[in-house]
Amino acid sequence: MILSPKVVITGMGAVSPYGAGVAPLLNGLFTGKGCMHTVPELEALPMVKTKVAATVPEMDFSYIPRRDRRSMSRMAKYAYAAARETLQSAGYETAPQGLGFFMGSTLNSISVWLEVSKNCIENHLELVKTSDFLQIMNHSPLATVSQALKINGPCVGASDACATGLMNVGMAYLAVKTGLVSQALCGGTEEYHPMFSACFDIMQATSHNFNQTPNDACRPFDKDRTGLVCSEGCGLLFIETEENAKARGATILAEIAGFASNTETENMAYPSAETLRQCMEAALKNAGISPTDVDLLNAHATGTIIGDIAETQAANAVFGHSIKVNSLKGHLGHTMGASGSLETIACVEMLRRQEILPTQNLHTPDERCAPVTHVTTAQKMPVNTIVKNSFAIGGNNCSLILRRSL
Amino acid sequence: MITREEIIRLTNEALKKEFELTDEQLVPTAHLQNDVGLDSLDAVDMVVVLEQKFGMTLRQGYDIRSIVTLNDLYNFIEKLARDHEAGK
Repeated sequence: MILSPKVVITGMGAVSPYGAGVAPLLNGLFTGKGCMHTVPELEALPMVKTKVAATVPEMDFSYIPRRDRRSMSRMAKYAYAAARETLQSAGYETAPQGLGFFMGSTLNSISVWLEVSKNCIENHLELVKTSDFLQIMNHSPLATVSQALKINGPCVGASDACATGLMNVGMAYLAVKTGLVSQALCGGTEEYHPMFSACFDIMQATSHNFNQTPNDACRPFDKDRTGLVCSEGCGLLFIETEENAKARGATILAEIAGFASNTETENMAYPSAETLRQCMEAALKNAGISPTDVDLLNAHATGTIIGDIAETQAANAVFGHSIKVNSLKGHLGHTMGASGSLETIACVEMLRRQEILPTQNLHTPDERCAPVTHVTTAQKMPVNTIVKNSFAIGGNNCSLILRRSL
Repeated sequence: MITREEIIRLTNEALKKEFELTDEQLVPTAHLQNDVGLDSLDAVDMVVVLEQKFGMTLRQGYDIRSIVTLNDLYNFIEKLARDHEAGK
C-alpha cells in the first residue's frame, strides 16, 4: 500500500474589501468591521433593487512591471498581489521550480469585455489592443500572474462560479496528494462589476431591504435576509506535502485533511439539501473522520433564502443540531470566485487562534432553517477540525476539511 | 500640413502615455526593442495608439521589422502623412 502524503498550508495571501494583505482581512473579520457601501451605478438603475456591494479599496499597482501589468485586468492585479504575499509568507522570494498554480474566477473582466464589445458593436475593431484580448481570456489572471512570477509548473484554472476558489484549493490538494506536484499555489480571484449585482437581482437573490445601512445588508440565516451582497477580491494559499514543508523548515499553518466535490443536476440555481449532505459526507470520508470530529462548519451561506435553508438542512442531516455553524458573507459579502479561498484563510486563522467568528448580522435565525448551533458572537474554544463549504450556481459543490496543525 | 516636429511630438506623447516612457528614452536613435524596451505585443498596440493619435491607418504597409529605431518610426509616419495629404 502506498501511503499518500499529508498536505499542509504554509502560506497565505489576500486582497479583499478590507485592503491588500492577509493582516487587514483578518483584522476586519475579527473586529467585525463593515466594508459594504452603496454603489452609484446601482442607484441609477431603478429596476435593480439591491444598491450595495463590497469592493476592494483603490490601490496603486504601478509597482507591477509594465510588461506584466499591461495584460492584467483588475482581478489579475489582485491575484498578483495575493500571489506575491503568499510566496513570501511561505518563505519564498521567487516561485520555486515546478510550482503548480490552480486559480480561476467566475467571469473574466466584465469592464474590459464591455469595452472590447463596444468597439466591436460600433465597428471599431481597430481600437482593440492585444493587451485587451489578453485581459479577457478566461484564464487571464492565471496566465498573467504565472508569467509575471515565473511559476513554471502546471497552471490549471477551474472555473466553477461561486465554488471556484475552494474548487481550485481542492484540485491543488489532489495534485499534491497524488504527486503531480509537491507544492502549489491555489485559490480564486474576482473583480466586481455592477452587472454581477444586476444579474443576481434578476434571479431574486440579492439583499435589498437594508440599502440604507449597507453593513446590515448581508445576513446569512437571519429571518430578515433577502439575498447576497456582491463583493470582490482574491485569496490564495500555498500548499505542499508535510514532508516538503518540514524539510525546508516552513511554518505549517494548518492541514488539508480531505476534499470532495459533487454536482447538483436537478436545479441549476438551487442545490438540494440531499446533494449537499452527500458532498460533506464524501469529504469526511475522504479525510477518514466522522461527523463528531468536526468542531465547526464554515458554511457557504450567502444570505439567500433558499440556499441558506438547504445548507442548514444538509448540515443538520450530517452533524445533528449541535454542530456550530458560521458564515463570513455577512462580513465580506460574496466575493464570488474568491470566496472559498478567502474564507479558507479565515478558517486557518480560526484554527490558529482557537477562536471562531460569528455570522455577522445574524440576530434572529430563520425558523425555516434546520436546527444547527449558530455562532452569533466570537467564541474562544478548542477548534481542531473545520469543514469549509462552497456551492455554485450551476450545481458545483465542494467541501474541504481543514485540521489544526499541532 | 503637419510638420515633422509635430509628428515627433505627437508620436512621443502617445508612446510616453501608452508605454510609460520618459523623455530621456525617446531619442531618435533609440532602438525600439533594445533601448525603449518594446516587444512584439507592444509593437501591435503601438499601431493602435498611433492610429488614434494621427487619425489615419498605419497597419496597412506597416512592417515592424523595417522600423528599428524611433527615427524609422517618425519617417514611416511622416511618409504616410504626406501620402494621406496628397490623397494617395
